[in-house]
Amino acid sequence: MTSTSAVCKTRGASGAHGAHTGVSSDEGAPVRVTLTVDGTPHSLEVRPFERLLDVLRERLGCVSVKEGCGEGECGACTVLMDGVPVLSCVLFAWQADGSRVTTVQGLGSPRDRALQRAFVEAGAVQCGFCTPGLVLAAKALLDRNPAPTEDEIRHALAGNLCRCTGYESIVKAVANAARGRTRGAQP
Amino acid sequence: MTTTRERSDWLGHSPERLDAARKVAGRTRYTDDIVLSNMLHAALVTSPHPHTLVHEVDVRGAQSAPGVRAVYTAADVPGENQVGCVRPDQPLFVVERARFLGDRLAIVLADTAERARRAARRVEVSHAPLAVVTCPIRALEPGAPLIHAGGNLLEHKRVIRGDTDAGFALAAATVDETYHIDYQEHAYLEPNAVIAVPEADGSMTVMGSLQCPFYVQGAVARVLGLPHARVRVIQCDTGGAFGGKEDYPSEPAACAAMAAWLVGQPVKLVFDRHEDIVRSTKRHRMVIRERLGANQAGQLVAAHIEIWVDAGGYEGLSRVVAERSNVSALGPYGCPNVRIDTRIVYTNNLFGGAFRGFGTPQTTFATESAMERLAAALELPSPELKRRNLLGVGDLTVSGQRIEESAPSTVCMDLALARSNFAARRAEMAAHNRKGGPTRLGIGLANQMYGCCLHAGGQHMEGSAANLHVRADGSVQLGIGGTELGQGAFTVVAMLVARELGVPLAKVHVMLTDTALVADSGPTVASRTTIMSGNAALDAARTVKARMIEVAAAELGAAHAAIRLADNVVRAGGDTMPLPALTALCHRRKVDMSATGYYAPPPKRWDPATGQGEAYSVYCFGTQVAEVEVDLFSGATRVLRVTAVHDVGRVLNRAALVGQVEGGVLQGIGWALMEHLKVEDGVPKNANFTDYPIPTILDAPKVDTYFVEEPYGAGPAGAKGIGEPSLIPAAAAVLAAVRDATGLPVTDLPMTPERLLLNLSK
Repeated sequence: MTSTSAVCKTRGASGAHGAHTGVSSDEGAPVRVTLTVDGTPHSLEVRPFERLLDVLRERLGCVSVKEGCGEGECGACTVLMDGVPVLSCVLFAWQADGSRVTTVQGLGSPRDRALQRAFVEAGAVQCGFCTPGLVLAAKALLDRNPAPTEDEIRHALAGNLCRCTGYESIVKAVANAARGRTRGAQP
Repeated sequence: MTTTRERSDWLGHSPERLDAARKVAGRTRYTDDIVLSNMLHAALVTSPHPHTLVHEVDVRGAQSAPGVRAVYTAADVPGENQVGCVRPDQPLFVVERARFLGDRLAIVLADTAERARRAARRVEVSHAPLAVVTCPIRALEPGAPLIHAGGNLLEHKRVIRGDTDAGFALAAATVDETYHIDYQEHAYLEPNAVIAVPEADGSMTVMGSLQCPFYVQGAVARVLGLPHARVRVIQCDTGGAFGGKEDYPSEPAACAAMAAWLVGQPVKLVFDRHEDIVRSTKRHRMVIRERLGANQAGQLVAAHIEIWVDAGGYEGLSRVVAERSNVSALGPYGCPNVRIDTRIVYTNNLFGGAFRGFGTPQTTFATESAMERLAAALELPSPELKRRNLLGVGDLTVSGQRIEESAPSTVCMDLALARSNFAARRAEMAAHNRKGGPTRLGIGLANQMYGCCLHAGGQHMEGSAANLHVRADGSVQLGIGGTELGQGAFTVVAMLVARELGVPLAKVHVMLTDTALVADSGPTVASRTTIMSGNAALDAARTVKARMIEVAAAELGAAHAAIRLADNVVRAGGDTMPLPALTALCHRRKVDMSATGYYAPPPKRWDPATGQGEAYSVYCFGTQVAEVEVDLFSGATRVLRVTAVHDVGRVLNRAALVGQVEGGVLQGIGWALMEHLKVEDGVPKNANFTDYPIPTILDAPKVDTYFVEEPYGAGPAGAKGIGEPSLIPAAAAVLAAVRDATGLPVTDLPMTPERLLLNLSK
């Protein structure tokens, strides 16, 4: 007969909600973090091991940021930090101190709306769980490269998994948005 | 001139999905996005070993952990401590013996999910591990450790048709090959999630990420000891399912509901990725031995197929999956003498369950592979051997069912050969390969046949309902029994209703599926939602439409037959009135503008002893051709292009169909080449997305998709299903291409780079 702690041998104990690090998000002295999320400034106390994902979802109401894997593989938790796509499930909240965080809920410019429309029109949305992360990764690409090649689109979105679409419609959506941008919105 | 906004008939076109705008804006509400006041968070304690006798579950350490509110075990279950999709053979919480790693021992409730998980690790389990059974063939040998008292053989299913001995005696060529097919993980992006809410009126409401709310309702009622009438299940926006949320979600839902019932507060239970992969069901591992014989004319004369299905520790859906494997064991090919022996076997591996294709992708890979070997033995091009044996209208399937209509198998295959330029590409590739160099090119073709809707054995669950209300302003509120999983079902059903009633598509609102809104409509599976929910919604729409026409005829002074409802306008000859004016008038005249619709196909005869009878209402055919490039040094296979031709009866929403095909093809490619769930002694070694990679955008080939339309008489507007047929032939086509490129036999699935290199070095 053996006596085993039920889940400690597996990785199941890591995974979600800060347990990833093996250190509780309850522990450690609070740190004050100042950041802007979707244009709204926030100043809040976080624990050293609190994930940016959890602060966004649970304390700031940004539930469009999704958790798909909790270890930086699927891209569902993608947000933009000062315009750069980052994985909020493998960042501590304090790492976003002083930065400008953008979630899909904060998109509103005509260019961003055109990108979102392109996803809708190309049939690039099915279950939708990966969609916020993909839209943000695509926005970051188009903001720095308004006329990407197909290869550049694929590489920019390679960190965002989608299990529904087979990706072809997503490539098409981003290419269409880029064309719309280069032709229409900014003549 | 009809504007897009007013348009009611979109059939064959690609209108915007009803849910797309809110999804791109991040306004979708998945289960974990819902926060209720006073809600507790749960974590499950699961078995420390895949096969063990549990002596004691000591929860004291967890009870005293920070933030913990309660810990429950089997002793606390108020109703029956049993779950199971077909037969309740699995304990909700283990009492004595754990049979796989996902078996549950306790549930911990705390104020945060993290604290619940930390406390769960403080549950001490004293247990005595038993020998683990992992091979479905060895599990049947004498002396194998028993997982259930009745033995490890769950069922031996047979198909007996004609005389296979006599058939093989006529064969000019035979093939005998065995295929080893591994798991596939669904890898839906949203892990399992559920919220249970004990209501003040003594009922229980469950909300979750799920495929089959009526299954969940039954499981929760059993575990709580409540009548079904006091259990309400609402499907939340669901982040993918692919079969994985058919059977399994009933289990976490029952756990959460039990805990919520006992504690008297809402309980949320959300899995992380590792938990989800270990606990939930998988595409079944199978071993398939194919013996085929054909005569000199290239006609199949005998087939003996043996299938070993690795069920895992409990019955789950394995017998139902195996039933489908049997009917599709010979793919879309006819043969007068068939014997199929399918043994469904308990092991201590992961739990086999529903996954897009439901036992058909495995048999399709085996049969397509065996047909290629047989063609080589007959010195026939493999497409030619396949064409000579394809089933069409009037032919008999392996279950002896005569195909009555809509069976364009040969049209699909010929179109796929033509559009892929198969013969010319094969010759070009052979020339490339003769030059040597570091890469080899190959092209492969696979056909498929899939029975749409439920098997005859499950026909008692087939009836489907819809509730429809035409509101006074001319908008339509619709509840259907099928669920929206991302496949676009709600949009397609709304399109059918909009066309029938003449209302603009955007004015049809489909409500999230809710057991309180609609009668039990069975599961959202088997590529049946367009047919079943579509027909049920049309039935309801026609009832209300007849009442609207009655009023319109009187108002416009026209004959009933002259009234047309389209594009938000009522027309009778030259007279018109706006459709909302008619609906407002109906409302004022106290016409009942609500209706329940129902659809069930005619009964099917079935003999389980011989596996003979009318297995399915209708069959979907299709052909996929894949081109691959194999790197001989790395072993990596890249899929360059796929041509997919599918028989869909009738195209309803073109973009949604293309989306299903492109997604299904890539899931099949992932399974064929990279998705290898490594399970050793019942323990998965790569239950995460780092070590179990699924295809990224860099792995996605160009997919050229074509549809063949031969309407199905009983389908809504002639349509059949597409969800599963899109995946079924993909792996078989890709691996046929790998075979073409390398000359290797390719009998293992997946053919990962490691395995390919190993095979090349032999």
